[in-house]
Amino acid sequence: MAQPPPPRRHLPSSAIASFIDRERIDKLLARWVPEAADRAFVLRCVLDEGPAHHRGANFVLLSLLGQLLDAAKASPESQGPSVPVPMRLPPHIDVGEDGFYPLSFPRKVLERLAPAGSAAQEAMIDCLTDGPPQHSLANAAMLCLISALLERSGGGAP
Amino acid sequence: MSRLGPAVASAFHVAAGELGMCSAAWLFVREVAAEGGEPLVSELRDLLGRAYPVLDAVAGRWLEGSREPKVGPDSVLAACEGASRLLVVGIEAMFLDALLPKLGQTRATLLAHSSFPVDWERVVANHERRLETVELSSLHRLAGRRSALLTFLYGTRGESTWVDPAWLRVMGADVRTQFRSIVGWDVLGSVMYLYPRWLSEAPASDFSHLVRA
Repeated sequence: MAQPPPPRRHLPSSAIASFIDRERIDKLLARWVPEAADRAFVLRCVLDEGPAHHRGANFVLLSLLGQLLDAAKASPESQGPSVPVPMRLPPHIDVGEDGFYPLSFPRKVLERLAPAGSAAQEAMIDCLTDGPPQHSLANAAMLCLISALLERSGGGAP
Repeated sequence: MSRLGPAVASAFHVAAGELGMCSAAWLFVREVAAEGGEPLVSELRDLLGRAYPVLDAVAGRWLEGSREPKVGPDSVLAACEGASRLLVVGIEAMFLDALLPKLGQTRATLLAHSSFPVDWERVVANHERRLETVELSSLHRLAGRRSALLTFLYGTRGESTWVDPAWLRVMGADVRTQFRSIVGWDVLGSVMYLYPRWLSEAPASDFSHLVRA
């Protein structure tokens, strides 16, 4: 029987783990998640869980957005409603606010794409907050950064 | 003729279920030592060690001069700081006795799941309303951003550690991301010499906090 062709590129997972700098992301997220234990939880979900390529991609995207943030001297928005990220608990389990991760993103940034309260914006929120936390929390973190950058730039304000 | 009666094996089995293997081992080793000194501890080790390797390890520690386990819960308390709920997987009564009174407002719940026959009401009654139980099917109601998960470890070596098999039922990819802190408390402090019957190997990377005895 013919052997399957070898993968085109062999990338050991240690190569991914070696470039992930947790301290960099920890420092970056401190602006939105001030409590260290909460931040450690968020970091674990974003950088230590799920397939290795997600962990690596989350690090790269957050790091580069962080560089943009620093270059723009932008800071987090302090006002406005925020969108919490729910845990994927079984549907019959309700643990109140404890069932949300300790990171939320500003709802206002989505108003650039769809009016507040519209079905489109609700659908966007659903897309951004659904899925395992290596997706949903990374989405939320990136939206926090993007929101601050857009606020700083002032461009295309809704 | 041995001074250890034939019922010692079944007595240890019951105690291991309701007190935990390490706690029961220290209790039995102490009592046996009080009765017959080191020779009787050696005899207990030979009699039950293969069946209960945690007892073998504890008896070995006794024979090397150790007289009590290190049960200081401070590092566990630090790992659970800020948690409003603590789900405990596995029983170790001596260690829970040290931990539970210091938890303050944190509510502790024990997973009612064991390889041993356990009277859960009796187990909970030992802890003076500081502990309640939850079934495996309902453990998610303890999840949350202010929830911590704790299990007892029976030795660590490199990336490996040994746990109550219930831990493997709990530690899925979903649960990992629904508890803020995942704490492994090494209650044995040494690697077992014998095959770790009753226990399962788990990666040390399961834990956000490893507390060594």
